[in-house]
Formats: sequence, structure tokens, C-alpha cells
Amino acid sequence: MRHLKPLNQKAERVTRAVTQDKMDEVRAMQTIVAGCASTLDPGWEVDPFGGVAALCQPMEADLYGCSDPCWWPAQVPDTINSYKDWNGDADNAAKDWRSLGTVFPSDSET
Amino acid sequence: MMKRLRAGLPAGAVGLMLMTPGAALAQADAPDPATLLADTCGACHAADASGALSRINGQRKTPEGWLMTIVRMRLFHGMVIDPATQATLVHYLADTQGLAPSEADDFRYILEREPAVVEQVEAPLAEMCARCHSAARIGLQRRTREEWNLHIDFHVGQWPTLEYQALARDRDWLKIAREEVVPLLAEKYPFKTDAWDAWKHAAKPEATGGWVFTTRLPEKGEAYGKLEVSGSAQPYAVSGTLKTADGEALPISGKLNVYTGYEWRANLTIGDTVYRQVLAISEDGSALSGRQFLHDEDSLGGTFKAVKAGGGALIAGTVPSTLPAGSKARVQIVGAGLESATLSGALEASGGTANDYGVALDVAPADDADGAVSVAAGEAALQGALAVYSHIDSLKVEPAFAVSRVGGGGGSAPAVKARFAAIGFWKGPDGKAGTDDDVRIGAVPATWSVEPFNEEAEKLEDVKYAGAMNADLGIFTPSVAGPNPERPFSTNNAGNLKVLATSGEVSGEGQLIVTVQRWNDPPIH
Repeated sequence: MRHLKPLNQKAERVTRAVTQDKMDEVRAMQTIVAGCASTLDPGWEVDPFGGVAALCQPMEADLYGCSDPCWWPAQVPDTINSYKDWNGDADNAAKDWRSLGTVFPSDSET
Repeated sequence: MMKRLRAGLPAGAVGLMLMTPGAALAQADAPDPATLLADTCGACHAADASGALSRINGQRKTPEGWLMTIVRMRLFHGMVIDPATQATLVHYLADTQGLAPSEADDFRYILEREPAVVEQVEAPLAEMCARCHSAARIGLQRRTREEWNLHIDFHVGQWPTLEYQALARDRDWLKIAREEVVPLLAEKYPFKTDAWDAWKHAAKPEATGGWVFTTRLPEKGEAYGKLEVSGSAQPYAVSGTLKTADGEALPISGKLNVYTGYEWRANLTIGDTVYRQVLAISEDGSALSGRQFLHDEDSLGGTFKAVKAGGGALIAGTVPSTLPAGSKARVQIVGAGLESATLSGALEASGGTANDYGVALDVAPADDADGAVSVAAGEAALQGALAVYSHIDSLKVEPAFAVSRVGGGGGSAPAVKARFAAIGFWKGPDGKAGTDDDVRIGAVPATWSVEPFNEEAEKLEDVKYAGAMNADLGIFTPSVAGPNPERPFSTNNAGNLKVLATSGEVSGEGQLIVTVQRWNDPPIH
């Protein structure tokens, strides 16, 4: 670890865990207990344990990791094919999330 | 003609399509809908010898399904279509290639925007389809086998990472899709059915005329009223009155579209609030049922039941539907063609005063009255129309599992609230509370609160951050969207909460997931 410097909050916690001999308690990508996964587990709404603590949160931190490869296209507009300009005005989702629009047109109702 | 129609549209009005008189297109100077379909879609969809357009000719859908298809052509393929033409085509396609009432019956919850349905989906459709969207979304479509096959191709082309979601890393998903799922879908949801053939040629029920209804408003509770539907072309005009259980009278006005002969879609202003109705007219035209909800907050609504006025005696329900024992009350028997009524069971009464909504009866249940009460009026009867209770043995929270979403805060997605009801039960024959043979009383007043669902929720202080529960109404209002710098790693105001209801000596609990917003919110999820 001598040549590695922590760059964010989680990395600092890892460094601390090393000094306290608590590396056994470190889990990747978690708010508190677990993290994002390879397919739709956890889902967009609920994590694999039926809660929300293990969702990728804040969601905005990785939102474009969802929209770019159309990961949850039923909830998040995919920018690979369907809504290419969806985040055109929001370079940084954590700061610009208010610029992201809902995609079903409000003029269309049965 | 088209110009004249558009000029008549109020700009920015709620429910633009409801204001669009599609049926007026049948006038002499407008193209008939079939020609309009060919003109609008024929540039991309090739016609066969009969003039039927490719892809379109092998599918049947709900009005919302056809609307989503046309909107997809606009958004994904740049089709330009004016609102009046879109409205006409949705009507035409839903009328000529729709679903029979029996075909839509199992999946009405998704059309009704019911917010807390947990689907039980079996393999292979659970893994292949319902990991991304509801199973109801496919259950509300009918396609030829070729069309179901093309539907897979379309999914792969439009959403290529679908392969991962279809579990491609662990199985030969495409082989399963082609050889198991397509035949299954073609068998379960085929294009040609006896039900559709029969419905297509059947006499359709009349939406116009008078209706008498019961429903439940999110904040004002149980209510009843009447609707008058008029007009010779769609959208029909709707007027009426709603009365709350407390006696408040609110005027109703709005517009109604009817698709496929029975799919009732109305936007109604009740008092000063706009509601939406997604209902189905019964095949015999005597009844109307579905869900009515706030137009702009569709998670807040209630069951809506109506009976047709002008025919024989019909009962829609009673307000209230649950009655505490030992105190005087007025029970409104809601129905049409009623002159007097008789209550039997845990409460005996007869006579009453006829009014515009049925018959009102003043009752005085005994202090120890417990049980169901049936109503008879003329030729009409409703078993277990209401329940009288002197005590409650157990309480259940409905829905037992609900989802609410953070929203607002300057973002485009509104917060999604959740509403709960406390349902009282008596012990059944086994003498134990909380078992399968318990007897349902119905919704009873309760006091509401939330607690952390588990240890993680407690550590993250979900109760503090996720939102607030209205102690009297059981309505949870979630917090604002966006990263919250006060929370660990600026996590969202999500939460995992236990919902607690208390009524007298008994209490019940449910679970509420407060989660993040969705930006893709089509009429069918």
C-alpha cells in the first residue's frame, strides 16, 4: 500500500481497514452491505436482499453506466440506440440530473 | 378537415388525445381510418395483396399498446404524425385489432396503473421477458408465431445488451427464445382466437347514459356518485356529482374515450382535482369497473365500480362499506332503479329513502354486532355488501409490499407516493387470529407510522431521510431526488421501511421500499 494513495472516500476506508486489520470486512461497491452486480440483480428498484442499501447509490454516480449500455432500458432511457441525446445536456449526472427528462411524451394519452 | 380539428384543440390541455374528436374523421371530407393508416404507415410498412401492412397485420393490442407502438415510431424512427391522426389511428387499431374483454381480463392491473402488484411469472417467460418489464406487457399482446419471432429480433437489435439480461452467459438463450419461448407465446397469446372473432362481431355495450358509482378517493375516503355520458361522437362528454361519506358534494366534468367497444378511458375533474379512469364496461353493458386515480399521481387511487342507470335494479355497493357497532349511521345503498332496500345479517333494517344514488338507510347496529351484511333491493342483491364490527381480531396492511420513489427537487420525474389501507379481520373457525381462515371485515380507520425495516435501514437512518408517513391517511410522501450529501457516500434518499398500522388493540405491518426514480414511464410498464 506504500505506493498507493486513496483518491476517494471508499479508498480511504480501505486504507483505514488495512491499518486496523479489518480487511475481512471490506466488500466491493457497497453503501453498507453489498454492491452492483453483473445482470439485473440487483434490480433497478430493489437489491438482491430485498432492500435498497445494496443498490448502486447514489444512483447518479453510475447512471450513465446504465444508460450507455442500456442496462435497465425499461426504467432508464438507453443512449445506445433509443434515446441517443437523452443526457446530451447533462455531462455530470451527479450535478446535472435535473436536466434529464422523462421520455414518454406527455401529449400522448388514450 | 385536419386543420379544422387541430384548431379546435386547447393547447396544453390535460389528456390532449381525449380532446381529439377522432370519430369526426368519418365526415365526408376526411380520409377513412384505413386510408389514414396506409398513408401514415405505408411508407415503411409494405402492403400485401389485400392491402394489409407488414408487421401491423400480425398483431393485436390494447389501446395503450398501440399508442406505445406509434410513439415508438415517432421517437425511434422519426415518424412525424399530428396528435389528431395519432388519436384516430389508436382508435382504429384498437377497434379492429384489439383484445376481447376476456383476453385482457388477467392483466388489467397494468393498464390500471395499480402500483403494488407482485407478479408470479413462471419459466421460461420469467427469465426471458419479465426481468426487464411486466409479464402483463406481453400478456396484453396477441401475435402470429412469425410476429413473436420478429419481436425477439427487434429486441436484440434495439437493446443489444438484452443478451446479458437474458442470461446469455449461462445458457444458449437464443435457442431457448426461438425454440421454447416463441412457440409458447404463439400458443398462449395467438393472433387468431375465437374470443376475438366473437367480440369483433358482437353488439358492443353503450357507454352513453347514466351510471351510478362507488369509489375511494386517496384523501377523502369512500365516495359515491353519478355520471352522465353524452354525445354522438368521441370523446364523449361526462358530467356528474361525487359525494363523500361525509356528505361533501363535488361536481364532475370531463371527457371519455371508449376503445374496442369496452375500454373506458376518461379524464375527469372532480372538484378541482383531475382524475383518470381506466375502466372496462361489462360485456352486457350493465356494469363498469376498474381503477380511478389522480391524473398526475397515478399511485394514488382506488377501485371504481358503477352500474348502468335506466335498466332494472342494480347495486354497485354501499358507503360506508364497514360500520363500527353501537353507533347510529346512515348507509347509502349505491345503485340504480332502487326504491327501497333490506339489510340482513349482522344488521337488520329495511325501507330507506330513495335518492339520486340509490337508497339511504338510517341504521343503529347493536353494541355487539359483528358480521357481514347483505343488501336486497327489488330484483337486485349484493351478498356481504358491508360489514359491522364491534371488535377486530387482527389487522393487515394492504398492500403488504409497496414501492415509492423519490422525485421532484427540480428533476423531471415526480415523486411517487404510496398509500396503504388497514384491513380488519375476525378470527375464523379455528379460533386463531392471523390464519388462513380469518374473515375479512374491510378497511378500518388506523394510525400510521414507519420504522426501519432492518439493521441496515437503521444504520442508514432511512426513517429520517426517505420521507414522511401521514399518520391519519396512510399516505407516504417520499423525499426529494438526487444525491444527499448528508448521507454516507451522498447516497439517495432511498429507504427500506416497515409500515405500521394500529387500530385500537390490534396492529399490522407491511414493507415499503423507497427507491429511485424512473425516466421511462410509458402507459404499460
